Amino acid sequence: MKKWFSITLGIVTATGGFLDAGTVATSGEAGAKFGLGLIWAVLLATVAVILLVEMIGRFTALSQKTYADAIRENFGFKFYLLPLISGIIAESLLLAAEIGGIAIALSLFTGISWHYLFPVAALLVWILSWRAPFSLIENGPALLGLITLSFLVGIVVLGGPPRELLPTLWKPDIKQGELADYLFLVAAILGATISPYLLYFYSSGAREEKWSRDSLLLNRVTAIVGMSFGSLGSISLLVLGAIVLRPLNISSSTLGELGLAMAKPLGPLGAYLFAGALFATCLGAALEVMLGVSYNIAQGFGWEWGENKKPVEAARFNLVLTIILLVAVAIGLFGTDPLQLALLASTVIALFLPISLTPFLFIMNDPDYLGDHTNGRFANIAIICVLIIAFIVAVIALPLEILTGGG
Amino acid sequence: MAGQKDQLLVMHNIIDNQLETKDQCKIGRVADIEAELCDDGKLVLTNLVTGPQALATRISSRLRPVAEFLLRGRFEHHIPISEVKEIGPTLRLRGMAKDYSVGQSDRWIAEHILRWIPGNGR
Repeated sequence: MKKWFSITLGIVTATGGFLDAGTVATSGEAGAKFGLGLIWAVLLATVAVILLVEMIGRFTALSQKTYADAIRENFGFKFYLLPLISGIIAESLLLAAEIGGIAIALSLFTGISWHYLFPVAALLVWILSWRAPFSLIENGPALLGLITLSFLVGIVVLGGPPRELLPTLWKPDIKQGELADYLFLVAAILGATISPYLLYFYSSGAREEKWSRDSLLLNRVTAIVGMSFGSLGSISLLVLGAIVLRPLNISSSTLGELGLAMAKPLGPLGAYLFAGALFATCLGAALEVMLGVSYNIAQGFGWEWGENKKPVEAARFNLVLTIILLVAVAIGLFGTDPLQLALLASTVIALFLPISLTPFLFIMNDPDYLGDHTNGRFANIAIICVLIIAFIVAVIALPLEILTGGG
Repeated sequence: MAGQKDQLLVMHNIIDNQLETKDQCKIGRVADIEAELCDDGKLVLTNLVTGPQALATRISSRLRPVAEFLLRGRFEHHIPISEVKEIGPTLRLRGMAKDYSVGQSDRWIAEHILRWIPGNGR
C-alpha cells in the first residue's frame, strides 16, 4: 500500500515538473497562432522527456550518484563548466519568468498590477526553498497542479475543436512571413518541455527520497504516467487557444490574455481556474528551477546539499540558492513580460540542449554505474534524434526571431 | 606495465572526486594533486588540493598567474594523502569536517553570512 502511495506522489511530482510558465506560454501561443499545427511538437517533446526522466531516475537509483556528480567525475572540471554556465544563464531567465508567472496569477486574483506582486512572489519562492522539507516542495505545488485538468473540462464544455480546425493537425496553416514564428515556437516547445533543470532536480529528488534498486518500477511508472499527464495539460491548453483565441485573432501576447481561453467556456470560474493553474505550475517550476541550478552547483563542487537539512547545515548550497533568486529578481526588475521571457528562455535552453545532454548518452551506457541496466540502442538513437532536431530548430529560429522583431 | 595501469586508475579515481569526512560531511572535490619526485625516480603523491586557484589552472595554464595574483592562495587548501582512508568515487577522510580548513567553509558562511538571514536554523 505504501509503495502505491509513493507512486501517486511520484506522478504528481512529475506533473509539477512538466508544466511551467514556458509550457503554458508556448502551448497557448501555439494554439492561438497555428491551430492544432504544433501538437506534434508537444508529443515529440513528451516522448523525449519520458525517456530522459526514466533514464536519469534509473541512473540515480542504481549508482546513488546525481547527474551533476556524474558529469564532474567523468568529464572533469573543464567540461563541467559548459553545462554549468549554460544552465545558469538559461535558467536564471527561466526563473525570472516563473516568478513573473506567479505574480501574474496573483494579479488575476487580486487585480493588483503584477509588477508590484513580483517581489511578493519571489519572497514566497525563497521562503519555501529556504525552510520547507523536500516532501512539501514536491507535493504542495504538484497537488495544486491537478487544477490543470480544468483545461480539459473547458474543451469538453466548448464541444471539442470545430471540424474546420482539424486539418491544421497535419497541415499547419502557416501564412506568408510566419515561418520564423512557427519554427521559433517549435524550438520553444521543445526547450520548455525538455529542460535540463528537470533532470538535475529529478536525480537529486531521487537521492533525497533515498531511491534504490527497488525503485526502478516506481521510476518507470512515474516517468510515463506523470509526464503523459503533464503533456495532457499542455495539449489541452493548446487546443483551447486554437478554439477560443485563434478566431479572435489574439496571438496571446501576455499570460493574462491566455486566461480568456478559459473564461469563454467556464465564465469567471474559468478565469480563476486558469489563474490557479498558472499559480501552481509556476510555483512548482520556480522551486524546481531554482533547486535544480543550486543542486547542480553544490554537487558539482562537492558541497553539502539537501532540502531536508537546515540552511546552516548546508550553508554554501543555501547561499547559492539565495543568490540565484536575487539574480532572477534583478532580471525581473527590467519589467519584461514573463511570457516573452519564458519563450526566450525556452529557446535558449533548446540551443544549449546538446551541451547539457551529451554527457547523458555516455553515462547511460556505462556499465560501471548501471550494471546490466544500461541504455538499449533504441533509447540512444531516440535521444540523439531529439537533440539534433531541437538544436537545428533553435539555430534557425533564434536569429530569424531576432531579425523579425520577436514573438 | 600492470603497475602503471594501476597508477593511472588511481589518478582517475582521485581528481574531481568527492571528499567526505568521518562525520559524513561533503566538504568539496579534489581540484588537483601534488606529488614529489623521490631519489629513486618515483613520483609519490603527497597532497590533495582544493580551491579556486587550482581549478583556474585546470581550465587553462595561462590563468595560473591571474588566479595567483587575485587570490594569493587564500582559498587554497591542502590535504595530506595520508588522511585518505578509502579511495573510490567518494574519497573518505579520517578526520571530521572541522579538522580540515576546507571543511570549515560551510561553517564560516553560516556564521558570517547566513546569521543575518532569519530562519537559518542555527
